[in-house]
Amino acid sequence: MDTLKKRLPLKCPSCDASLKVGRLFCETCPTEVCGSFELPLLAKLTEKEQQFVIDFIKSSGSLKDMSKNMGISYPTVRNILDDLIDKLNNMETL
Amino acid sequence: MKKQWLKLWFNPFERIAGFRALLWGFIGLIISTLLSFLSQWHYHGLLHFGPAPNPAWWCFAVEHLTVWLIPATLFYLGGLLFSRSRIRLIDVFGTVAFAQLPFILMNLFAFLPPMQKMLKINLASLPLQEITEQPVFLASVWISLLSFIFLIWVLILMFKALKVSCNLKGYRLGIVYCVTVIGGDLICRLIIGLCYK
Repeated sequence: MDTLKKRLPLKCPSCDASLKVGRLFCETCPTEVCGSFELPLLAKLTEKEQQFVIDFIKSSGSLKDMSKNMGISYPTVRNILDDLIDKLNNMETL
Repeated sequence: MKKQWLKLWFNPFERIAGFRALLWGFIGLIISTLLSFLSQWHYHGLLHFGPAPNPAWWCFAVEHLTVWLIPATLFYLGGLLFSRSRIRLIDVFGTVAFAQLPFILMNLFAFLPPMQKMLKINLASLPLQEITEQPVFLASVWISLLSFIFLIWVLILMFKALKVSCNLKGYRLGIVYCVTVIGGDLICRLIIGLCYK
């Protein structure tokens, strides 16, 4: 059986508001940290968008290399990046 | 699988753009020009086709180049005005050229006997009633309607070309597209009309 891949929930399943971190724990010792922590900006992106950011960094910011590796056209990569920039700007102003 | 196939036929620009699209588009433009010359099927504008009084090869080349360059230029200008992305000239001109590949298939319809017979009739000098009384009139109308499927395909591809190459969305995309198709057709007709004088 395939292992279940858990995804970090970003929205409240009840009211759809953005979630915050309330509890962190150490897997080695039973230490727990409780509080209210904001998720980092990049962690608020979807899995697909985070993968795009990782690919972008790994290809040294070269959209040409990214388009080659991803098998999509240059303007499509540029459009994804520009949409992501817009999304990040909107998240920062919120 | 079916969705992927449809995506490739109606939005190939997620995979192909830039120089590669320009190269394929330009090869298509040469083939399309050749087919038009052989069948004497003229492009009067982006949306208008039929017989014309200039049978010279260069006239067909001018028609095809105009039908490619005018909409591509208007797309580029629209992109510069409305897009927030840094658009590339080669993407706009390449995707528009590639979008016009179905014109090759549309041109093949002009080789069918009813279309060739209609092309030989001087439509400008005949009254409408006499044109409609021609024995091949109905067949040529049906063939024209069938060939328009490829024109619609070209228009869909051009919409996608604009969307991908200029990264336009919403009302901006709609405005630039409509202005280009309608205005571009008018400009093309004005320029191509000079070849018939």
